[in-house]
Amino acid sequence: MNIIRRENEFAPIEIAPPSFLEFPRFRELWEYKGLLFFLIRRDIKLRFQQTVIGFLWIILQPLIQMSIFYVFLGVLVKVPTGNVPYHIFFLSAFIVWQLFSQIINLSALSLVGNIGIIIKCYFPRMVLPLSTVVSALIDFGISFLLLLLFLLIDNIYSLSFRYLLIPVLLVITTVFASGVGLLFGAMMVLFRDMKNLLGFILQIWMYLTPIMYPISIVPEKYQIIFYLNPLTALVDAYRWVFLRQGNLPRFDHLLISLVVATVLWFSGAIVFRSMENKIADVM
Amino acid sequence: MGRLAIKAENVSKKYQIRQGLGGLQTSFKAILNAPFNWLMRQNGRYTHFHPSETIWALRNISFDVEHGESIGIIGRNGAGKSTLLKIISRITRPSKGKITLYQRVNSLLEIGTGFNPDLSGRENIYLNGSFLGMKLSEIKQKFDEIVTFSEIEKFIDTPVKYYSSGMYMRLAFSIAVHLTPEILILDEVLAVGDAGFQRKSQEKMGELLSSGATIILVSHNNNTIRNLCERTIWLDNGAIKMDGTSDIVVDQYSKFIREEN
Ligand SMILES: Nc1ncnc2c1ncn2[C@@H]1O[C@H](COP(=O)(O)OP(=O)(O)O)[C@@H](O)[C@H]1O
Ligand SMILES: [Mg+2]
Repeated sequence: MNIIRRENEFAPIEIAPPSFLEFPRFRELWEYKGLLFFLIRRDIKLRFQQTVIGFLWIILQPLIQMSIFYVFLGVLVKVPTGNVPYHIFFLSAFIVWQLFSQIINLSALSLVGNIGIIIKCYFPRMVLPLSTVVSALIDFGISFLLLLLFLLIDNIYSLSFRYLLIPVLLVITTVFASGVGLLFGAMMVLFRDMKNLLGFILQIWMYLTPIMYPISIVPEKYQIIFYLNPLTALVDAYRWVFLRQGNLPRFDHLLISLVVATVLWFSGAIVFRSMENKIADVM
Repeated sequence: MGRLAIKAENVSKKYQIRQGLGGLQTSFKAILNAPFNWLMRQNGRYTHFHPSETIWALRNISFDVEHGESIGIIGRNGAGKSTLLKIISRITRPSKGKITLYQRVNSLLEIGTGFNPDLSGRENIYLNGSFLGMKLSEIKQKFDEIVTFSEIEKFIDTPVKYYSSGMYMRLAFSIAVHLTPEILILDEVLAVGDAGFQRKSQEKMGELLSSGATIILVSHNNNTIRNLCERTIWLDNGAIKMDGTSDIVVDQYSKFIREEN
């Protein structure tokens, strides 16, 4: 029987009353990177355990949404979509929205979903919302292939340097979504029926983002309001890459988005950390 | 005097008991009701709406634990035993005072928490180990020992939902005691399982103790406490009623309980 002795590398830990604002502890998060890894692996394993159904469900969701909006807005209302058919116009932004809303949803629900282990074991709670980002990105990868298929069928796809912009856009999107997810995760601790409200908020957010319609149908003087939503500019940029629509996204605009997303993420992380010590007490 | 493992200084813990716990609706109602409650109070009249009530689960607890000590915690239901262990395990924070840990803590507050029924025993060992703060290399190093102790070699790649409850508990216990670093915290977990498993786990605890681990355990079984712990802390109504040699404290406690009934 040998106990792993690491006394010499152990710095004393003080357990004191929480302060009003607590900051994220990145060193500790780093020490728990193994947990992050196994949580991500757990999510992936569980998702693909029923391989066929798991995979089908991921591509079925965007397909169903696409069909519905295609019939109503594409065929019946005939929303103008420029040089591409409506279903592709829709899908190119919808997969981005899916990534965004999935990160928010999964992050916000990750505390409630893992409450059993939270009230029995210490670990930095933030690994739970953070681990959801990877599953969402994997789903995005799959729906991205679906979009690619449609682009190929309609001969819109061309191998281009534009696609180099995708990683940059993905970083901005995930940081932004993760920040919002942390904020909602923190609120979920105080208000357990927040879940319903969150669904409602996301629904409205989707309608207010030019996903199923182009920004051009909004009167010009109101467009600025839509651009207060950082997702609007992001969706524009994604469409520029996928559909060659609109203008080359401006570097300074992307930089501003990144800064805003990062600030939001840190605010979310601080609110989350300040709330996390209440989780075990109220649940 | 040995070296300190845990130091608790004037630790108190307050819980809020909220009516209709934490809903948006209740909160809105509370906000809407606030002015009326205020008016009622101005008239010196009884208000039926109490937004929250507080409980002091721990009051001014202070004690020191040294390396290699084994400490039993006893007390009636609601005395604050679990709350104390939760603070030492860093699951919740104290409302006042502070605890300093000089060794690494590992806690087993419930058998098998964090197990995912759809994952195999192997997967769960890694996931559970990392929840407990272990590094991948440490888990790997201990993996075979864990599997052998829990006697589930043949089923290690089977999802744990197909395990019998005995197998499930053996695996969970095995993970905790093998990955365990310097301080082990147990909340009434030695009471589960069949006689064979209980004997085996008590033996394991003895082994851990003789190898120098610090142990804090809550148990309703006076014999377990007497066998495993030199020292016992008796909590009553959130405060320390007695702290001393197990035999003496357990005797006093038994007498107290007998007299009360
Ligand atoms: N999360 C909580 N919210 C409100 N009250 C709590 C909570 N946890 C424990 N309590 C209260 O604190 C007191 C001590 O509980 P506990 O530490 O579980 O006692 P024990 O383990 O000794 O039976 C009890 O009165 C219990 O009702
Ligand atoms: Mg208890």
